[in-house]
Amino acid sequence: MGKEHSIELRNVTKTYKRDEFTIPVLTDLDLVVPEGEFLALMGPSGSGKTTLLNLIAGLDNATQGSVIVHGQDLGGMSDGEITRWRSENVGFIFQLYNLIPVLTAFENVELPLLLTNLSKRKRRDNVMTALRAVGLEGREDHYPRQLSGGQEQRVAIARAIVTDPFLLVADEPTGDLDRKSAEEILSLLQQLNKGFNKTIVMVTHDPEAAQRASRLLHLDKGKLVHDEVRNNLEEGVASS
Amino acid sequence: MIPLKYNVRNLRVRWVNTLLTMLGTGAIVWSSCILFGLVEGLQHSMKVSGDPLDVIVMRKGSTSETNSGIELTTAEKIPTLPGIARDEKGRPLAALELLNIPVVERVDGSRTNLIIRGIDPVSTELRPDFKILEGQGRMLEPGKGECVVSKNLAKRFKGASLGSELKVGEREKYRVVGIFSAGGSAAESEIWVDRKELEQNTAREGITSSVQVRANSAEDLAALKQTIENDTQFKLAAISESAYFADQSRSSAFLIVAGTIIAVLLTIGAMFAAANTMYAAIRSRTREIGTMRALGFSRFDLLISFLGESVILCTLGGLLGLAATIPLSALTYGTSNFNTFSEVTINFRFGPIVMAVAFVMTLAMGVFGGLFPAIRAVRMDVITALREV
Repeated sequence: MGKEHSIELRNVTKTYKRDEFTIPVLTDLDLVVPEGEFLALMGPSGSGKTTLLNLIAGLDNATQGSVIVHGQDLGGMSDGEITRWRSENVGFIFQLYNLIPVLTAFENVELPLLLTNLSKRKRRDNVMTALRAVGLEGREDHYPRQLSGGQEQRVAIARAIVTDPFLLVADEPTGDLDRKSAEEILSLLQQLNKGFNKTIVMVTHDPEAAQRASRLLHLDKGKLVHDEVRNNLEEGVASS
Repeated sequence: MIPLKYNVRNLRVRWVNTLLTMLGTGAIVWSSCILFGLVEGLQHSMKVSGDPLDVIVMRKGSTSETNSGIELTTAEKIPTLPGIARDEKGRPLAALELLNIPVVERVDGSRTNLIIRGIDPVSTELRPDFKILEGQGRMLEPGKGECVVSKNLAKRFKGASLGSELKVGEREKYRVVGIFSAGGSAAESEIWVDRKELEQNTAREGITSSVQVRANSAEDLAALKQTIENDTQFKLAAISESAYFADQSRSSAFLIVAGTIIAVLLTIGAMFAAANTMYAAIRSRTREIGTMRALGFSRFDLLISFLGESVILCTLGGLLGLAATIPLSALTYGTSNFNTFSEVTINFRFGPIVMAVAFVMTLAMGVFGGLFPAIRAVRMDVITALREV
């Protein structure tokens, strides 16, 4: 499997069991995402976009079909293996930031590095680089409650990129932000995609946020209904 | 690994819950430490009471000095035997002693049996830790109706304080001329009077309870025991002092068993308190747990983290409980010796048993109290946990 196809889903079906009922969430889905793509997933509630994101991020398993990410078939991995794989390959950005409230910005960003063998000094360098990249240098000793929503999401992005993963997954990253902060976060994601060649998969309800992506997928009732490759990346960066 | 500061700061953030759990576990460690501190005090008193070169001579078949009786004419021959150590004045270190166990009134009006020991002048030499407390009078003089009282008893019995007159039954009364300590040994549960006076007051002339003997050496000790036990003129029991007091401390075995059962039950109760706190902690941090799992922390990392938090919580409580026992180092507890049915006083002792009890209880509370909540945390489905608001 070449790495030019960063993510490859083949005949993926995902169902959930509720009592005696089997509920289909994704049905026979095929998808190829090249490396360095910024993909936006849209669709109504219950269309399966977050489930698709979770499959790509290694948080969930497909009921049928295969999910191959960066050359690795996620279906055949044990819980321990996939946990380690996530720590090395995926950066997570959540709608509600999911920062640890009792840890400072620095300590939150440092968390994923505690799973590596880096020295304390190297960890510090990496954390400060990540905080600088999201424009939060000087805020490293602040606790989440001392930051605005936009700043919290920046810390979360710094935490997502600090281990230099190839893939960033973002679940409604601007869903809890005002328009100005949302624009800033989206610009930051575009910069990470363009400047550092990060593959980004973003779930969003916001059409304006989706405009920043290089490709737009629409899901409905567990199926891909629209796939649009956009060429507005330069425009998006320019407008930020 | 998840950093320890994550757990410590969470305990600080939930300080009300943390404090309440600390107080609960602390109270349990405290009460168990008191119990085991008294057991340790009892065992210590028996341990320090025995010198390896000392023997107690008693009637054969006697289980303690209180039910032993030796004819005075026989007992008086023992100090003349060879191999007995001598003091600076050249007196043989062999003391005839007579025990009486009258009923005496405590300061609170209750009554109990108490050991009154009739001693010879060399009796004090046989107890190297014996001393009259500074500013607390002097040693008794034979034939003057005087007594010395242990510091543990002076405050507990009517007429036992310095300068008072101690009345025992109809005929006996003694003036308290000194208060003594004896290094925490069994003598600290006794009142000492002149043996010959006690003989007369209790109408037990011609008899003594025991002879305390110190040998010159281990070889002399063996020879002395051989003579006393087998020579036809004696045919008495010569028991090494350490073995005698070890036997006397059997009553502490009951306390240890009872104390252990109580401590185990209390610890189980405290485990539920710790578990309750940890369940609440984990419930309120579900999304954090999901986030850490998503970031790549393993189930084992989380298990260790939450177990560690529970152990820290209980350790804080345990330290609080231990610290609360420090003011109790002056605690003296009176109970009955099951062999002699007389009052025995025990000083609370903060030693290895207390430390071990506190350590084991704290660890058990922390580990078992935190185990099930921690297992619940590690078994959480990541996606469900991440959805928690």
